[in-house]
Amino acid sequence: MNNYEIVRGTKDFLPDEAALKRDFENRTVQTFLEWGYREVITPTFEYLEVIEGGAGNNLRQELFLLQDRDGRLLVLRPEMTIPIARIVSTKFRDTDEPLRLFYNANIFRHTMPQMGRYKEFYQLGVELIGAPGKRADAEVIALAAEILGQQELEFKISLNHIGIFTSLLAESGLNEQAKDSIKALVLKKDLVGMGELLSGLTMNPDFKRVLLELPVIHGGPEVLNRLEAIRKVPGVDQAIAELTKVYELLAIYGIQQDVVIDLGILRGFDYYTGIVFEGYSPQLGYPLLGGGRYDKLLDKFGCPQAATGFAVGIERVLLALQNRGAVLPQRWIVSGSDLRAVLKKARDLRAEGHIAEVDIQENSEKDVIAKLAGAKTG
Amino acid sequence: MNPEQLTIALPKGKLLGPTLQMLDHLDLPIRGVSDGKRSLVFDFPDQKVSYIMCRPTDVPTYVEHGAADLGIVGKDIILDQAKDVYEMVDLGFGYCRFIVAVPQERVGQPLADFNYQRVATKFPHVAEEFFREQGLQVEVIKLHGNIELAPRVGLAEIIVDIVSTGKTLEENFLKEKANIAVCTARVIVNRVSYRTKYSIIEPMISKMSRLVAEGVVKE
Repeated sequence: MNNYEIVRGTKDFLPDEAALKRDFENRTVQTFLEWGYREVITPTFEYLEVIEGGAGNNLRQELFLLQDRDGRLLVLRPEMTIPIARIVSTKFRDTDEPLRLFYNANIFRHTMPQMGRYKEFYQLGVELIGAPGKRADAEVIALAAEILGQQELEFKISLNHIGIFTSLLAESGLNEQAKDSIKALVLKKDLVGMGELLSGLTMNPDFKRVLLELPVIHGGPEVLNRLEAIRKVPGVDQAIAELTKVYELLAIYGIQQDVVIDLGILRGFDYYTGIVFEGYSPQLGYPLLGGGRYDKLLDKFGCPQAATGFAVGIERVLLALQNRGAVLPQRWIVSGSDLRAVLKKARDLRAEGHIAEVDIQENSEKDVIAKLAGAKTG
Repeated sequence: MNPEQLTIALPKGKLLGPTLQMLDHLDLPIRGVSDGKRSLVFDFPDQKVSYIMCRPTDVPTYVEHGAADLGIVGKDIILDQAKDVYEMVDLGFGYCRFIVAVPQERVGQPLADFNYQRVATKFPHVAEEFFREQGLQVEVIKLHGNIELAPRVGLAEIIVDIVSTGKTLEENFLKEKANIAVCTARVIVNRVSYRTKYSIIEPMISKMSRLVAEGVVKE
């Protein structure tokens, strides 16, 4: 063991990258504030019961556990929605108005280290609580589009309603084991396996065809016509109507061109209850952000409330920005023998919004010019 | 990633021949593409496609990270790596099986007798998961080749390996004890590419499925 080793799966942000991160955060936070979202800051660790009470135990393998002095188990937060649900259920119980909250936090998960995935990573996100309507869904999706758009990133937001898949499965007449196998294959994105499994099951052929097609249905609202055969299934019609409505609202927001309907966005069936979405950039092989409606979570904290939100992975946005090539800010070096004049000039430059470094090594003019020529960020 | 340009990860070795044949049926360029050359990237700017020639075990990695939009690789490798990619088409060729084999004289014993013994394999995840599902614990020994030698030299009692004919097993006095999975070549797709290049990838995938169904794609 060296004393300069860094923990596997963690990373340092050196100045250029940290600056990019800070810029993205500032800009995004500013937008969240402008849209009426207010920041909450929660402890880095929570009791295990709180996290598992919200997420169930499927996160267990990924948790960083530690022990309090009195023996209780603590968890480094693996996400931010549950701590916020805890806050809402204890501190905002009786609010009638929709609650708009945002966070900017480090998150901890014990995952295998690989590109774009770290054990400690950063998320910016919003939660819109106490608003069941479609306008709430549309607002958070539009906000997600807004923050990606202002980075001038090329992106698309994929939109789905989890109810289409879950209703179909609920009405399929299959036993729990078969349902679980289908869910597992969908999560693994193993469409070949799905085909094999379904061909061996006896069920309504329309259900079968749609279950196989769902993961690859992608396009404008017209793709929903492909679900005609299953519209009568309880829950499906409503899900389609909600999806169509949200798509229409997003057209009013003027972001229709950034949104596609994509029935393959099947994330966290046991958590999400309605509209779900993910944001992608062609610059990056993984999603930049994800979110959706989770109307059952607050119930687990004894405070039944509708809720929707999203989280954006900061490192992933930075990777997309770096892949595209980001512009670093210009900086000035103010140098001279008269320190008073130097300081005044530096102050003036800063007042104009420039970065002004004061030369503290008493370099000659020639040295300064040479230095600027050699500086990476000059 | 250029939104117009498609990058395909191709597996070196025995899957390459049938893969190129299939690409040819899709009217994709294959002139001069082979794994015998030093060149690892083949660019066809006019057809807006390029190929990366990879070791088969690297194909899922290229695709997961989006260095390639899609790839062709054996199910055996997909199973052992569990990468976050879409598995979209079973191409049917490259047939082989994942099996558990033991020395011939022990093949009559119940699998439970092999609890806590050593398993030599190139595929540690597949091996571990199979035995865990049977409620057994084994010590997995990862090797990079010549797995079938391990029992003869006393390195392991069991092997988990892929076989196509079973001849190698016989030559090494081993016998199949259990079948884990049947594997063929698959088409895998990056989850973002599938969305951002939908208009190119979707028709290609449909056509591949059709070619497979019509029996045009073969060894």
